[in-house]
Amino acid sequence: MCMRTGYRLAAALIFALMSGGALAAMAAQSWRIDETHTSIGFKLDATGFPTTRGQFRHYTGRIAIDLDRPASSSTSFTVESASVDVGSQSYNDFVKSAALLHVAKFPTLSFASTQVEKLDPRTARVTGNLTMLGVTKPIALTVNVEPDPSAKGPAKGRLAFSATATIRRSDFGMIFGLPLIDDTIEITVKTRALTDE
Amino acid sequence: MWPLPLRLIHWISAALVIAALGLGTYMVWFVDDPAARFDLTQTHKSIGVTVLAFTMLRLCLRIRTTAPEAEPIAPLTQLAAKAAHLGLYVLLVLLPVSGWLMASTTPVRIPTRVFGLFDLPYPLGPDLPVFRFFHAVHVVAAILLAGLVALHVAAALVHAFCWRDRTLRRMGVG
Repeated sequence: MCMRTGYRLAAALIFALMSGGALAAMAAQSWRIDETHTSIGFKLDATGFPTTRGQFRHYTGRIAIDLDRPASSSTSFTVESASVDVGSQSYNDFVKSAALLHVAKFPTLSFASTQVEKLDPRTARVTGNLTMLGVTKPIALTVNVEPDPSAKGPAKGRLAFSATATIRRSDFGMIFGLPLIDDTIEITVKTRALTDE
Repeated sequence: MWPLPLRLIHWISAALVIAALGLGTYMVWFVDDPAARFDLTQTHKSIGVTVLAFTMLRLCLRIRTTAPEAEPIAPLTQLAAKAAHLGLYVLLVLLPVSGWLMASTTPVRIPTRVFGLFDLPYPLGPDLPVFRFFHAVHVVAAILLAGLVALHVAAALVHAFCWRDRTLRRMGVG
């Protein structure tokens, strides 16, 4: 498992999906995540309060690719819950408190894929288990992949990924503020994968 | 002239009330950033708690103080002045108390950290309908207080520059 601060979900995922055609030649390539263009974010609405958009700054991840059998590909990642950033120290402290993320008791959030399904040449559905506040529930991410239009530098191949999912926080026991704070949280993971081969 | 402690509390309260009214309006109507809104709300609540503390102290001092001799003005004007002052005292208690109970009864029960020093105790538990009631009281009271403050300031200026009496000097100005 790679323990650096990085997130290697999308590259392997898309490789698993884009079997055949022009991408088949990339089967043997090694890809790395462009950490400067990787983010794990979320959005939460509330009545009478501006929409909160936050990010997690520290995370680790692992991917496994099987280009011949994309459905056998997998990924898992772990997020440090205390690395949440919602814009100010006092607001961060509140989000980390027992009312919401309760980081003292639950220092990590994690996701492990169980299924990868190609929907079209640029879209896939990744299903897996999200564990938050000690509760594990299945969620599905919709992953879009595009050639990176800003490709520069020595890397020959670049792909930009955007994965989104909507969860109900009450499913994980996070009920603070209902109904004034929405139950649904929109998760967005963006990344770019690079290869020099 | 009013005693020094009452004069000081009057001007400190005036500054705090204007700050709280201004901040409350600004943070609700003009702040789109949630973190800024969160922080400004804490500041707004801290100022409100301070206003309440000064008002309680002021009331204790006021009931034990003989007012300076009033300027010779028409009885109706005097009655209006007394009514306005009473209204100000009522709103200076009602506004922070309703805000306190809003913070106590909202389902979004965020600790009120008064200037980062201590957490304000919450006397009531979360209850959405009760929160909505105190929210309405708080908004209406804020509008009334803003109006009364404007009237109060205008009246003081009339005393000073139109009638040229000693009213404003009794509060230590001029």
